[in-house]
Amino acid sequence: MNTRQKFSAGLLIIGFILALLPLSGSRSFTVRPQKLLGEVLDSSTWVTVDQVARFIVTEDSSVQVIDLRTPEEFKTVNIPGSINLPYNNFFDVDPARLLNNGKARNIFYSNGDFDSNFALAIARGLNLKNTFVMKGGLNEWFNTVMNSTFTGDKISPRENALFETRTRAKKLFSEMNSMPDSLKLKFIQSTHLAAKKLDGGCE
Amino acid sequence: MKLTEVIKKNREVIVIVLILLVLILVRSTGKNHFKNDAEKWAQSSINKSDIIISEKLGLPDGKNLLINLDKDKFIKNNSDLLNISSDSVFSKKYFNAIMKHDGPVLLFSSNSGVSARVWMLLSQMGKKKLYILSDKTDNEVLKYKFKPDGLSTENTE
Repeated sequence: MNTRQKFSAGLLIIGFILALLPLSGSRSFTVRPQKLLGEVLDSSTWVTVDQVARFIVTEDSSVQVIDLRTPEEFKTVNIPGSINLPYNNFFDVDPARLLNNGKARNIFYSNGDFDSNFALAIARGLNLKNTFVMKGGLNEWFNTVMNSTFTGDKISPRENALFETRTRAKKLFSEMNSMPDSLKLKFIQSTHLAAKKLDGGCE
Repeated sequence: MKLTEVIKKNREVIVIVLILLVLILVRSTGKNHFKNDAEKWAQSSINKSDIIISEKLGLPDGKNLLINLDKDKFIKNNSDLLNISSDSVFSKKYFNAIMKHDGPVLLFSSNSGVSARVWMLLSQMGKKKLYILSDKTDNEVLKYKFKPDGLSTENTE
């Protein structure tokens, strides 16, 4: 084989290898279909609004709540501590870069059940296993947490703990969303400060 | 130069090209793999053209195939409806039935999240004319209005 032929062969090989590669490594599903189906249908991929309320109240740093609604909707009302990644722009930023954030759980929510579950299937398809969905979305959050009331004579310790978490989450949500946008960030910082003082820590 | 001589002289190159060609064909025609460019196949979920309200059933062109994804809510099978438990969607029999159906395929489940997830997977496998059948027009609309007094919410329904 002479030099010309070797060069031609090399070019052909590179060309075919490039043709075999996906258009973008981060934007094509990499998990085998059957395995992915099992993963996305696993009940552990759903978290309840009560679980999210507990994460918010306890300021669980291993959890990142991700709001998939539009920036306008996010600005109007959002779950404290959540970040905005509109589903419409889900591919504009590299989801892998955003979700490989060292958090044990990234929890998606939208107003209902469609966008968050589309996003979960995409994220899991891209092999981002630390992704979950808040079942029922913000509508369920309002229904369960914000409209939480206690009626009856007796309450079990478990019910009491649940009710207390909901009440604290509701208070936090209300305080946060009643503020002007400029103050919301400061509010989050101040709650960290208050917690440190209560624990006897110092700044 | 005769063809046989050319082939003989370049047989290494031809062998490599043929191998790569086979790999490309397997990849592009394989039914067990996801398509390239996830964004493209997710596009109709972004512009919401994949959701059909049950009241408007019959709007898509062609014969509809309804897929009931609920395991425990069996509906009598007929030519227009299949009961496929969501975890069996990729079993050969059902997968072929879905992929080979020319008309619109409409997924429905009591859990709209399951429909959305299965829709995304089938769509990423290259299924076109795939829809979610929903009984609500406003699943992604916030039904509550937050009152800034922080003490109550209002249901806007």
